[in-house]
Amino acid sequence: MSAAGPSLIEFVAKRPWLKKALTPLASWYGNAAGYRQLGLRADDLIPEDNERNLQALSRLPPKEAYDRIYRIRRATQLSLQQKILPRNEWTKPEEDTPYLSPIIERLAAEEKERDQLDTLGVLKKH
Amino acid sequence: MICRPALSRGSQLALRRQGAAKLAQRGFAAVASPKSSFEPTTIAGVKVASRDDNGPTTRLAVVAKAGTRYEPLPGLTVGLEEFAFKNTNKRSALRITRETELLGGQLQAYHTREALVLQASFLREDLPYFTELLAEVLSETRYTTHEYHEEVQNVIHLKQAKVDTAAVALDAAHSVAFHSGLGAPLYPTPNTPISSYLNEHSVASFAEAAYTKANIAVVADGASEAGLSKWIEPFFQSVPAQSESAVSASASKYFGGEQRIASPGRNSLVIAFPGAALNAANSAEIAVLVGLLGGESTIKWSPGFSLLSNVAASAPGAVAKAANYAYSDAGLLTIQVNGPAAAVRKAAEEAVKALKGLAEGGVPQENLVKAIARAKYNVLSGAEASGVGLVQTGTNLVHGAQIVKAAEAVKALEGVTADKIKAAAKTLLEGKASVAAVGDLHVLPYATDLGLKV
Repeated sequence: MSAAGPSLIEFVAKRPWLKKALTPLASWYGNAAGYRQLGLRADDLIPEDNERNLQALSRLPPKEAYDRIYRIRRATQLSLQQKILPRNEWTKPEEDTPYLSPIIERLAAEEKERDQLDTLGVLKKH
Repeated sequence: MICRPALSRGSQLALRRQGAAKLAQRGFAAVASPKSSFEPTTIAGVKVASRDDNGPTTRLAVVAKAGTRYEPLPGLTVGLEEFAFKNTNKRSALRITRETELLGGQLQAYHTREALVLQASFLREDLPYFTELLAEVLSETRYTTHEYHEEVQNVIHLKQAKVDTAAVALDAAHSVAFHSGLGAPLYPTPNTPISSYLNEHSVASFAEAAYTKANIAVVADGASEAGLSKWIEPFFQSVPAQSESAVSASASKYFGGEQRIASPGRNSLVIAFPGAALNAANSAEIAVLVGLLGGESTIKWSPGFSLLSNVAASAPGAVAKAANYAYSDAGLLTIQVNGPAAAVRKAAEEAVKALKGLAEGGVPQENLVKAIARAKYNVLSGAEASGVGLVQTGTNLVHGAQIVKAAEAVKALEGVTADKIKAAAKTLLEGKASVAAVGDLHVLPYATDLGLKV
C-alpha cells in the first residue's frame, strides 16, 4: 500500500529485469495520465481526505506547501477553461518527484510502531 | 497476580519462607553502609563520577555545560532540554518512552543556570540499556522540524506560562547582578523574544557544540565502577571528543543594581548580594549566614530561631527565605520575600534591619550554634539527596573543579565564629546590592528606601 493506493512497486523494484522492462511503459503511462500537461506532480493527486495525509501536509516545508497549492489552483483553472499548459510549461519527468509520499510513509510507520507497542504481549520466562 | 486465598496453605508457607530467606540474605552491613562521596575518574575520555551504595536502583545523569549561562542565543538551552529523548537515528521517541516504561525507568531533562542535565533513574541491572540511551540522545538525536513545531514549541509555551512572580524576581536579580551569562533568565518568560532565535536548526548546532566529551560529565549514583567502565566506553564512542564551535562564556563579574517590574497579582522582592561560589574560600561563612537568616521554620508551631522567619512572623502573609546560589565562578546570596505587597514591604524593611543588626551587633552564641547545625544538615542532606548531589558533582566536573567533599565542608563550618559572621555581613552591606521588585510597584520599596547601596 503506498500513499496513493495499492501498488506493485515493491514487487517490481525487487526484480531488475522486470523493472527495466516496465520503465518505458511506466513513463508512457505517466505522460498519458494527463496531470503533467496541467503542471501537476504525481504527489499532488494524493487525496487530502484522511487524518494521516492532512498531518503529512502540515509537515511540508512552507515553500513546498505554497508551490503545491499554486500547482493545484493553476490546474483547477486550466481544467475549468478546458485548456492545457503550453508544452514548455508541462511538468518534466525529472521534476515529477515524490515530495509528500515519503512523509506519509513515515507517518504510517509511526502509526504501525505505536500500534505494535500498544499490543505488546508479555512472555513469561518461567 | 494470584490472590492470596487462591493459594494452598503449602504454597503460602513456601512464599513466606522465601520472603524470610530474602530478609536473612540482606545482612546488616549493607544497610548500615553510609553513602560515600562521588569518586571522579575518566573513562574513554569522558569525565565520570560515581558512588555505589549497593542499593537496588541507579541514577545516571549526563551533565553538560549548556545551561542558560552558556547559550549563544536566548532560549536554546530550553530548546535543547525539550529535544532530549526525542527521535534519534536509531529509534523513535515513542519507542524510547515505551521501552523505558517497560523497564520501570524514569527519564528527566532539566537545567540550571550552568548545567543541562539528562537523567535516567532505573533498576540496577538495566545500566547497559540506559547508558546506551543517554549516549544515543547526545550523538544521534535528529532535531526534526515537525517535532519542533508539534511538540517542543508547545511544551515551551506551556512552561513559559507557568513562570511565576518569584521566578521573575529571581531572574531580574541575577540579571542586574551579572548582566549577561549568569544573568540570562533561567526560563524565558512569555515576554522574552525567543521565537527569532529558537528553531530546530539553531538547537541542533548548539547541541553539536554542547554535547562533546570535553563538555559533558557522566555522574552515576548507585552504579558499580566496573559496570560503568564496561559500558561507557563502547556506547560513548559516538560522542565527538570536541567540537569546532565550543561553548564559551566570559568570567562572571558582579555589577549590582536595581530592577522594578510591574506585574498584576502576586508580589516578590529579592535582595541579593555577592555570595559564595562553588569551592570558594568564604563558602563556610556564607552557608552559616544563610542558616542564620534561614526563613523556613524547621520546627512546628514556632517561627524558630532564624532571623527571616521572625521577620515574616511580624508581617503576616509574607514569606521570607535566604539562599546562596553557588555557581562555578560566582555566587549570589539572596533574600527573597513573597506575599501581599504591604507585607512584602514591611518584611523587606525588617529583613534589612536584621542584617544591619547582624553587621553591627554580631550574633548570640546560641543562635550561631543553631545556625552551624542547620548549615551542616543542609550540606550533608544535599550531598545525600540524589538529585542535588548529581547536579552539583556534574557541574563541578565539567568546570574542572574539585568535587565538594561533604566531610571537609562540614569541618569548615565548625570553624566559623561570630566575628567572621559579623565581618561577612558587614562586607555584604558595604558592597553593592542587587534588588529586584516584581508586583505592585506603588507599594514595593526602592533599594534606597531599604537603606541599601545599589
